[in-house]
Amino acid sequence: MKRPYEKPIINKLHTGLMNKFGRSPAYARKVRSEIDGASIDSLVEKYGSPLFVYSERCLRQKHRQMHTAFSTRYPNVVMGWSYKTNYLSAICAIMHQQGSIAEVVSEMEYQKARAAGIPGEKIIFNGPHKSLAALEKAVKEGAIINVDHLDEIYDLEQITQKLKRKIHIGIRLNLDAGIYPQWSRFGFNLETGQALDAVKRIKQGGKLILNGLHCHIGTFIMETSAYAKEIEKMVGFAYEVEKTFDFSIEYLDIGGGFPSKSRLKGVYLPPEVALPSIDEYAEAITHALSKALRPGDFPKLILESGRALVDEAGYLITSVVASKRLADGTRAYVADAGLNLLFTSFWYKFNIEMDREVGGINEHSVIYGPLCMNIDILDEGVLLPPLTRGTRLIISPVGAYSQTQSMQFIEYRPAAVLVGEKGEVDLIREAEDLTDINRREKLPKRLALSSAK
Amino acid sequence: MKDNLKAIFSSYAEIFFLPSGAAGAIIFAVTLVKPSLALAGIISVLSAYGFARLVRMEKPFLQSGYYTYNPLLVGLSLGNLFQLGSLTIFFLVCAGIFTFLATVFLANVFWTYLRLPILSLPFVVVSSIAYLASLRYSNLLVAAPHSAGLLQAGLSLPYWLAGFFKAFGAVLFVPSVGVGIVLSAVLLRYSRILFLLALFGFYSGAIIRSLMLGSTHQAFADLNNFNFIFLAMAVGGVFLVPSLTSYLMAFIGVAISTVLMDAITGFWSYYGIPAFTLPFNVVTLGLIYVLGLLLHPMVATVVGRTPEETLENYLANRMRYRGQSYTLYLPFSGQWTVWQGWDGQWTHKGSWRYAYDFVITDDHGKTHSGDGTRLENYYCFNKPVLSPVRGRVVQTSDDLPDNRIGDADETNNWGNLVIIQDTRGLFVEISHFAEKSVRVKKGDWVERGAVLGLCGNSGYSPQPHIHIQVQATETIGAPSLPFSFVSYAAEGEYQANSLPPVNRPVEPLYRDKRLDHITNFVLDDELNYEVLRAGQKTSEFTLKVQMAPDGTFYLQSPRGQLYFGKHEGTFYIYRVTGNDPWLRLLFLALPRLPLAYREKLAWHDYVPVGLVASGPVETVIGFFSSLYPRLATVKVNQCFAGENRVEASIEASILREQKTATVELDRHKGFVSITLDDITLRRVSHEA
Repeated sequence: MKRPYEKPIINKLHTGLMNKFGRSPAYARKVRSEIDGASIDSLVEKYGSPLFVYSERCLRQKHRQMHTAFSTRYPNVVMGWSYKTNYLSAICAIMHQQGSIAEVVSEMEYQKARAAGIPGEKIIFNGPHKSLAALEKAVKEGAIINVDHLDEIYDLEQITQKLKRKIHIGIRLNLDAGIYPQWSRFGFNLETGQALDAVKRIKQGGKLILNGLHCHIGTFIMETSAYAKEIEKMVGFAYEVEKTFDFSIEYLDIGGGFPSKSRLKGVYLPPEVALPSIDEYAEAITHALSKALRPGDFPKLILESGRALVDEAGYLITSVVASKRLADGTRAYVADAGLNLLFTSFWYKFNIEMDREVGGINEHSVIYGPLCMNIDILDEGVLLPPLTRGTRLIISPVGAYSQTQSMQFIEYRPAAVLVGEKGEVDLIREAEDLTDINRREKLPKRLALSSAK
Repeated sequence: MKDNLKAIFSSYAEIFFLPSGAAGAIIFAVTLVKPSLALAGIISVLSAYGFARLVRMEKPFLQSGYYTYNPLLVGLSLGNLFQLGSLTIFFLVCAGIFTFLATVFLANVFWTYLRLPILSLPFVVVSSIAYLASLRYSNLLVAAPHSAGLLQAGLSLPYWLAGFFKAFGAVLFVPSVGVGIVLSAVLLRYSRILFLLALFGFYSGAIIRSLMLGSTHQAFADLNNFNFIFLAMAVGGVFLVPSLTSYLMAFIGVAISTVLMDAITGFWSYYGIPAFTLPFNVVTLGLIYVLGLLLHPMVATVVGRTPEETLENYLANRMRYRGQSYTLYLPFSGQWTVWQGWDGQWTHKGSWRYAYDFVITDDHGKTHSGDGTRLENYYCFNKPVLSPVRGRVVQTSDDLPDNRIGDADETNNWGNLVIIQDTRGLFVEISHFAEKSVRVKKGDWVERGAVLGLCGNSGYSPQPHIHIQVQATETIGAPSLPFSFVSYAAEGEYQANSLPPVNRPVEPLYRDKRLDHITNFVLDDELNYEVLRAGQKTSEFTLKVQMAPDGTFYLQSPRGQLYFGKHEGTFYIYRVTGNDPWLRLLFLALPRLPLAYREKLAWHDYVPVGLVASGPVETVIGFFSSLYPRLATVKVNQCFAGENRVEASIEASILREQKTATVELDRHKGFVSITLDDITLRRVSHEA
């Protein structure tokens, strides 16, 4: 085969040397030809590129692992699947099958959960924006509502008057768990007494019954002791509320934030080394619970996990559509997926694998996305051998947030498939086309071009 | 006055093992066929009753007639012998008080030392003494014989039938067919089982005696045959649960008593004393004492007002409450699997047969990941071990190393352990903790679910697991005692109190604050309900929470009581009394409720057949279920259809179709609505 002409450049070569992880930077290759038995070739052939691929086996295993880790250490655990992480119906269905209830943060997500057949009492309704209508519906359907701010308390009191009955609610707390950044924009602050004031207000109103506390200290928390601190403060507050206001705190919702084996930019160690295992989180949390709770008291512990369950189950297959040399000699590739599908690449350095063995020496390369935007960079420094057009790159882990945050900007959104436990492949979201873009648009007649169909 | 009358009539009913004052009144009326006899009886009872009040015996003791039926029998026996005169009356008063003293004395001695009732033993003793004494009292005038008309009537009946009725009448010292007919009719009205046992006892005894004596007529006409009647009733229906076994025992008792009766009559008559009820007393007491000693399962632990009631409660409760009386929570959290149970295939043998081992398994039934060569591969290794009881820690150790996989420490069999003395006095021993993992120390007080330490592989343990047993002392390796586990889920089914089989995955369920609160009915709480039939309101009623003298709580309605309570993580409705259909409906719809919620958690229960049967059907079942217990089985299958909704289907062989029931739990307390078929009970103004 005749190799395409390329202008020669000079590259410094470190032959024979290994990096600290035992691989030669010049020849290290990560190749993945299949996902759970489904070959990359056949997937792309059938569903096109780019393509989101999810592993059902991984999803179920992660769920089981986390549930076992917590339930064998604390006898009253409920998992709430964080919809925003990935609300593809098929993914949610698997999570619900595994026993999770739904955790939603908007009216849209609430409706999505209801449409999937989840009854109201199995939905946790969080979030800073709940419209009055959405709140009323959630109250009627018996959802678990965690209040974010005082205005929501007023709304709920208004609803109690309309429905002529009391409503059970939880409130969201924010607190100093000893980590940076401290999230203070959601809920009521504990240390400044805001939260206690809110409870006072609820008691004073006499229409709402506080029966739960919610807190979410952040995302991708790499320190187990932060949760221990969170538990200690929440339980202390729960008992204070029970004693002072005669409410019974039936659940402690400690949020999520457990990391996946993804690599934050700027973290030197690989995730396998840098991150505690889920068992370590479970141990820290349940140990803190057993220290803080009264003997024999087991309020429901709710976990709102998303990333830790789904991230590693998701892959994005993308194809190299062009290669070029930049002015400084750096090798660059253009892929058919970019920031439009992987918004998360701002923070995470993904694992990039190739679908085939490629010869040649690794070079420091940049991968650009397909957008006609300067910021559309998938990876600005990855060691890759010279790739030919059509080579497929498998990017992972991308199960969390990528799907839900992907946008219809410039490009269509691609298909998503699920690889079943027996290797069977199901299409769980069709690739978009122009009708998806145009469906909601209205063109005033006077502007229509005569040639338009 | 009404109470006093009822108490006195109860003495009459008690002779025939009947509960009701009304039955007593009829029996009293029967004795009036010979007024002097009736008077003698009532004088004796009244003197006993009066004496009891004089010595301030408390009313509850007197209401049942338990202490006064013996004086009654003595009074009747003397009235049968002597004409009534002032002297006879004095004699009757003495005899009545004497019998009462003998009754209280014997009742206490028998119950304390033998756990036996006294039957009519005081009557036998005192009457024999009175008869012996009266031989010398020539001033007492012998009574006139029964009028010939009374004795002759009904003799046109065949001898074998007349004999039965006469023997029956002879109990009241009026051996007349007519009296016998009335008495057996009363018996038949209150209990079919007692009536049939009376027939069965009489004919078994009479036939055996006719074979032995060689004279059929003599055997059937013997008035002492009432002993067989009583024996069959007492053994077959009162002290044993009516069943084929109890009927067989009744037959054996009758057979033995024929021999005893002939011996006693022969011997006693030398002194002019009849055998009275001595054969019945001796054989009955002997039989139930021995059966009780052997812990025979058919010995009735709770004697109902009638054998039918004893049977109904027995059948419902035998199925309802299956576990042991000593109960534990599972000593861990989450889903574990039974590795070895009682009488296990490896180590749970001999003195240590009552023990359980638990491990964690995966979907493939394996206890470890990978090749399982390292301790860390085992799912249960280093998982918390929780206290199964509330009590004080009396012993701990955690200095032994965890064995390598496949090895076992043969010297320190029990490995690292924790022993807890619980509030009920027994000791719970838990073994094989991981090295240096025990988090409690001697003297600590622990609640159920407190973390004791981590599961390990110390002691005689080839792979990490938890061993648990109950023992009477804190000695390591003491013999184990039976126990059972409460409040857990096994394959989606709630178990209130039972023993899981080997390989069954089990998960303990701890009391949920919400459900606990919902079922927290406090004294004087009032619950108002309206009754809807096919959507139309028909009536209203109010339930009020009250407490019985024995400390159990009940819901009082205008027409009955519904007893309920919580035990080890389960809310139970125990029983219903009175005849309130709505309380019975509530019992049927929600016989028990787990105090922990899991989605679609299912459970089942059995309720007394009286809740679904009534009238003639109940009567027929009442008897035939003693022969074929499944007839009386009413199974209620329930499940959580939501956090606040329980659905039930009711299955019974006597129901033509399944009934379904729904209970909506209130978010705060109690039940919003209870629906069974087309009837709904709906709470009125259940929320502010």
